[in-house]
Amino acid sequence: MTKRKMLSGAILLTLATTAAAADFAGVYYPLQPFGRGTGGQAGARKGPPPRPTQSAPLSDGSQGRAPDAPSLTPEYMAKWEVIRKSRMAGSSEYDNTAKCLPPGMPAMMNMAYGMEVMQTKDKVTFFSELNDALRRVYLDGRKPTQKILNDPTYAGYSTGYWEGDTLVVDTVALHPNSFIEGFSPHSDAMTVKERIRFTGPDLLEDRITVTDPKALTKPWETVKTYRKAKPGTDELREFACAEGLGDAK
Amino acid sequence: MRVRVIAFAAALGMALFDAPMARSHHSNVAFEVTKVITITGVVKEFQWRNPHTWVTLAVKDANGKTVDWSVEGRAPGVLLRAGWTRDSLKPGETITVDMSPAKDGTSTGLVARVTKADGTILPNAPPPTE
Repeated sequence: MTKRKMLSGAILLTLATTAAAADFAGVYYPLQPFGRGTGGQAGARKGPPPRPTQSAPLSDGSQGRAPDAPSLTPEYMAKWEVIRKSRMAGSSEYDNTAKCLPPGMPAMMNMAYGMEVMQTKDKVTFFSELNDALRRVYLDGRKPTQKILNDPTYAGYSTGYWEGDTLVVDTVALHPNSFIEGFSPHSDAMTVKERIRFTGPDLLEDRITVTDPKALTKPWETVKTYRKAKPGTDELREFACAEGLGDAK
Repeated sequence: MRVRVIAFAAALGMALFDAPMARSHHSNVAFEVTKVITITGVVKEFQWRNPHTWVTLAVKDANGKTVDWSVEGRAPGVLLRAGWTRDSLKPGETITVDMSPAKDGTSTGLVARVTKADGTILPNAPPPTE
């Protein structure tokens, strides 16, 4: 094979790989942002009023843990019981978003108020309107340095690559002061793996696997699905949580 | 509607406070979200503010005494997509609020839906995307 042929082959291979990558850029809303049967059209009709929010079990833990909740080790189950008691008493002590802190990964992927994805060849950026939270996924082959690993953040440090049209993302360096799905505590050893792809026209899916050898007895898996916004609702708004922070208690 | 309010107010009795509540910033855990109660009153103030909007309204209790209720709604960004604007509620207008009451028994609530005097319904979330 001549040098020229090898070169054109390499170029073709590069083009094929590039063409397989999907374009996620756009604004999205989750399919069930506030739980089934709440608000929205249910709230827009006359008749029995809807509940303002509906997560099962209730977000204060008064109905125990959901069957699909992360499986906690005894040590972290004990921590959860403390959080639950606080929440059942009506306290926001263990609710980061009520304190205007970032929801953290993977909870931020709930994206209840909408998500904006910005994408270049080397980076995909996810923005959450709720709490103006941001995360970046580096695609240029860089890896987290020890300096990064020693300095955990709520969003963590994410690197990714394309497997065909699926974006595979690994997230490390996660701050332990956050909650896996918004409620369950985790350790500084937590890592998150995601497989993000289109599953239908304008339907984006994020399959999330959380691993934490200290807090979880087995990896926890969840799937988030978002629909791309139509013109008219394709602009996210500023959240500016600190406007009300002075009143927080 | 009015009857339900009176029944609720009577049930709470002394638990109702006269003083307007501080507009704290809560998470949903501060409210009895399995319950939805209904109050009707006159708007005193509408705060179109992050992270939560607030409506203060004067509600007559069972004894004819006026009690100020402060009810907490979602953020302006979400309510804008649900059909609200910063001018949706004006001081002096009568509205009916479906809401979950606060766990601490104060005259505060988490808004499920607001109905204006002309029947216009302001929901607390945009239409579902599916």
